[in-house]
Amino acid sequence: MRLRTPRAAAAFVTLVAALVGAQVAAAAGEELGVRVRTTRIAASLGDKLRFATVVENEGSTTTPPLVAHMTVFSLEDGTYVDPEDWSSQRTKYLAPLPGAGSRAITWSVQAVNDGSFGVSIEVLPRTGKGTPAVGPTVRLDVAKRDTLDAGGILPLALGVPALLGLLTAGVRLRRRRGRPA
Amino acid sequence: MSATTVQVRPSAERPAGGWTVVCAQELRELWLGGRGLVLALAFSVLLSVIAYLTATNQALNFLEQRESVNLTLQAAIAVGGLLALLAAADTISGERERGTLESMLLTPVSRLAITIGKLVASLSLWLVAYAITIPYVWFLGRGIGLVDDALVTGLVVGTLVAVFLASLGLIVSVFTNSNRVSLSVSLFLLLALYAPTQLPSSAQRGWAGESFLRVNPVTAGEHYVGKIVVSAHSWHEDASWLVAPLVGAAALACLAAAVGARGIRLRRGTS
Repeated sequence: MRLRTPRAAAAFVTLVAALVGAQVAAAAGEELGVRVRTTRIAASLGDKLRFATVVENEGSTTTPPLVAHMTVFSLEDGTYVDPEDWSSQRTKYLAPLPGAGSRAITWSVQAVNDGSFGVSIEVLPRTGKGTPAVGPTVRLDVAKRDTLDAGGILPLALGVPALLGLLTAGVRLRRRRGRPA
Repeated sequence: MSATTVQVRPSAERPAGGWTVVCAQELRELWLGGRGLVLALAFSVLLSVIAYLTATNQALNFLEQRESVNLTLQAAIAVGGLLALLAAADTISGERERGTLESMLLTPVSRLAITIGKLVASLSLWLVAYAITIPYVWFLGRGIGLVDDALVTGLVVGTLVAVFLASLGLIVSVFTNSNRVSLSVSLFLLLALYAPTQLPSSAQRGWAGESFLRVNPVTAGEHYVGKIVVSAHSWHEDASWLVAPLVGAAALACLAAAVGARGIRLRRGTS
């Protein structure tokens, strides 16, 4: 193939570079591994949990900068999960990993719903290209806790105003009696 | 016609700690006079309604329980601050309107002591409102380890907001002849201070939106409470949000003392 004009040559070089870059990024994604130290956690509603994952570069070359993201989802139908409620830091940005290198990441979540949930971590190059490396799903079983006894509110809701009402009435009565006729 | 000149006794004749005498007198009028108790009763009814509505929500989950504590606490801080503001806005303009300012100025107590005594007495409304809030917060927040943090945060932020608002009310009261004007201006200022809390969340984001919330002691204080109670942040994590309430309370309390010490005087048409 002969390229006749400088513009065509430049376009060819750009195309080749893009294809090579995509291959490298894809390779980086494929050579990444995510390990978790535990795959099952039992907790109670409201518990704050921390768990660690390890991102490994299984290849021999340094990876591009990476991004790791945590996803929380319900394993049961009908339970709405808002991941923002579970953790305010679900995305972490990592520096390039050298060949055969690894890095530990700690994630914090708070169990805000009861039921069975899955937590998974995926890692991919910051270029956004290639297949993400996904770690094993961590199963999270959150036990229900009766957080509020609605029946107990009535004595309080009525009692405090009643007490203050009696006090107010008593003070007014005392003032009235104290006044000269 | 200039303001009426009143002969004030030299400071050497004034008893030290005169503000405690003024404060005790104001507290007697406020609480034994019944006005404070009626306001406290209305406050407790409001909290009862809020607590009942949130507690009887059958779908209440853990996060909503935190939010219900936050709602109750923020309502207590807002309304407690309002009560302190109303009491302070009545202090000097009320004396003028009732024709008792002249006799008060003739007492052997400095104007600074009068100002401080009245300001401290106004804050008693917030302290009583806070005491009333405790059982509601305990009920809504028990079982999730939230009660202590919520109560301490509420006391700190609420006291700062109450000092800020009461000082504001007292300053307005010094410059107005009529109680009606003083209360109207104070309420208008209070609404202006709370208005940013009703802005859509998109307007509260970004550099300008956040700065706007940060410089307003009321919105900054409420934001801090939310971070501790709902987001379970540690005390120091969002401590920068306490700067505005702290500076606002200190600055306005000093300004109120300065304005009271120099500005309390009889005016034409008042006694």
